[in-house]
Amino acid sequence: MLKQKVRFKLLDLILIIFCIGIVYFIFYRINVQLEYRSNWAAIPRYLLRKDPSTGKLIPNYLLLGLFTTIRLSVWSTLLGLVVGVIMGIFRTTKILFLRLVGRIYVEFIRNLPPLVLIFLFYYFASGQILPLLGVEEFIRTRSASAQAILAFFFAEKALFTQFVSGVITIGLFEGAFITEVVRSGIESIERGQREAAYSLGLSWLDQMRFIIMPQAIKRILPPLGNEFISTVKRSSIVSAISIQELTFQGRQLATSTLWVFEVWITVALMYLMLTLILSFAVSAMEKRLRISD
Amino acid sequence: MSEKKLGEHIITVDNVSKTFTGGIQAVKNFSTKIRRSEVLVIMGPSGSGKSTLLRCLNGLEEPDSGTIIIDGIPLDDDKRHRLEIRKEVGMVFQQFNLFPHLTALENVNLAQIRVRKKSKKEATEMSMDMLTKVGIAEKAHCYPAQLSGGQQQRVAIARALAMMPKVMLFDEPTSALDPEMINEVLDVMKNLAREGMTMVVVTHEMGFAREVSDWVIFMDDGQIVETGTVEHFFKNPREERTKLFLSQIL
Ligand SMILES: Nc1ncnc2c1ncn2[C@@H]1O[C@H](COP(=O)(O)OP(=O)(O)OP(=O)(O)O)[C@@H](O)[C@H]1O
Ligand SMILES: [Mg+2]
Repeated sequence: MLKQKVRFKLLDLILIIFCIGIVYFIFYRINVQLEYRSNWAAIPRYLLRKDPSTGKLIPNYLLLGLFTTIRLSVWSTLLGLVVGVIMGIFRTTKILFLRLVGRIYVEFIRNLPPLVLIFLFYYFASGQILPLLGVEEFIRTRSASAQAILAFFFAEKALFTQFVSGVITIGLFEGAFITEVVRSGIESIERGQREAAYSLGLSWLDQMRFIIMPQAIKRILPPLGNEFISTVKRSSIVSAISIQELTFQGRQLATSTLWVFEVWITVALMYLMLTLILSFAVSAMEKRLRISD
Repeated sequence: MSEKKLGEHIITVDNVSKTFTGGIQAVKNFSTKIRRSEVLVIMGPSGSGKSTLLRCLNGLEEPDSGTIIIDGIPLDDDKRHRLEIRKEVGMVFQQFNLFPHLTALENVNLAQIRVRKKSKKEATEMSMDMLTKVGIAEKAHCYPAQLSGGQQQRVAIARALAMMPKVMLFDEPTSALDPEMINEVLDVMKNLAREGMTMVVVTHEMGFAREVSDWVIFMDDGQIVETGTVEHFFKNPREERTKLFLSQIL
């Protein structure tokens, strides 16, 4: 890679001044024209609050929302990964039926508006799949400490079904994108690799395991990292099904307090923090992979 | 010529045809028989179906019709037959096709362990023998990217040999190499031929053909145009197409 020195030019200065101008103008409009009285001081208490009984600081509203967003993203990414790897491999097999299954899955998900999918999945998941799996029953019969652990990693008892529906929904949604990432990764491996492995007598599974996947994974990882970041962003859509993640909490807070700008800017910054950390991690990983080539 | 003894027929190709989707008939009603320990060289212009024929012999391509029998095993729909043939037939590719994420040694080890079910120790012993045989033992722990083309191709040969194949197929093994590396690969192949390996070699290296081949097939347009010893091809090729081709490569 060519390294380019960053040099500050007059154009950059003009652009920066221009941007500052725009931001100033927006705030001016908000403050003067809308006669909006900003109240930033109120925000921290929606992040952390004092526990009335113990006096310790505990996470409040927005921070709880952030935690739910993180939990939601982690689990749905894992689910999406499992589904995506399986479907991605399906899409590259010789068996027409499996290819068709993978194809239908991807096309179905990519060609419907996400919001419609969310509702569709949600009512299907919460109405059909979860009762079938006996999730609610499972939660109710756990001990208090087990429930606490479940609450930490997933959601509290009352919101558990909803949370799981949300995970399934986003997971299946992400899975379609990961399917394509995996498929193109596998297809990017030169044909000769599989042919050499085949000629040596390796079974299909061994070809995948020892030859194709180890090479494909290197190429898959960077775009996969980007999919993880997208998961965080896309997870906001499940606020539509009343899962109390960051966007949902933000909306609740904004409507009840009317500090619309403060709340949404805070929410935006919280998302940014999460996604920027992830994208730094992804580019660090990309750099390391490039070195090992 | 060498005094090696030729055995019974180990490869029988009977009336094999292969048409690709898109309508190109790459191999047309091709029949031939190859004896144990024989070295057959196949020549022919680009697109004449040499690679396709070779790839049919180990199941990489599926013929539309005809039969192929290798060491008594028919190459049919039976999965066990196909696996057996893949194990018994080694293939060396023009582009080497080494596994880039594995060292030379690991490249040679893998199939012995996974397919021949050897222990890692046994496999490594065999691999080192084979890498020594192709004169590259000191590079055992290098990755393919750290090796020259000629070295990579020798590792690829060692990888195929480590499976103890009964037949070795070579598809233009030297045509992707820089000229100064061609001989180190050809020397390995000549030794192999002298040891009595059954070999089918697609190549235009006349020196190699002259030294070790028992006979030559000249093919064009998916069919055999002419067969004979190298001497025959040098002294009095019969067909016009053969003469034209030879005048181009000699
Ligand atoms: N996978 C494929 N799909 C479609 N057509 C193919 C395929 N492989 C080969 N062909 C066609 O079949 C014919 C024979 O190809 P083949 O590779 O066997 O020739 P070749 O004699 O090995 O040529 P070369 O000397 O260039 O390697 C060519 O016309 C080629 O374009
Ligand atoms: Mg060819």
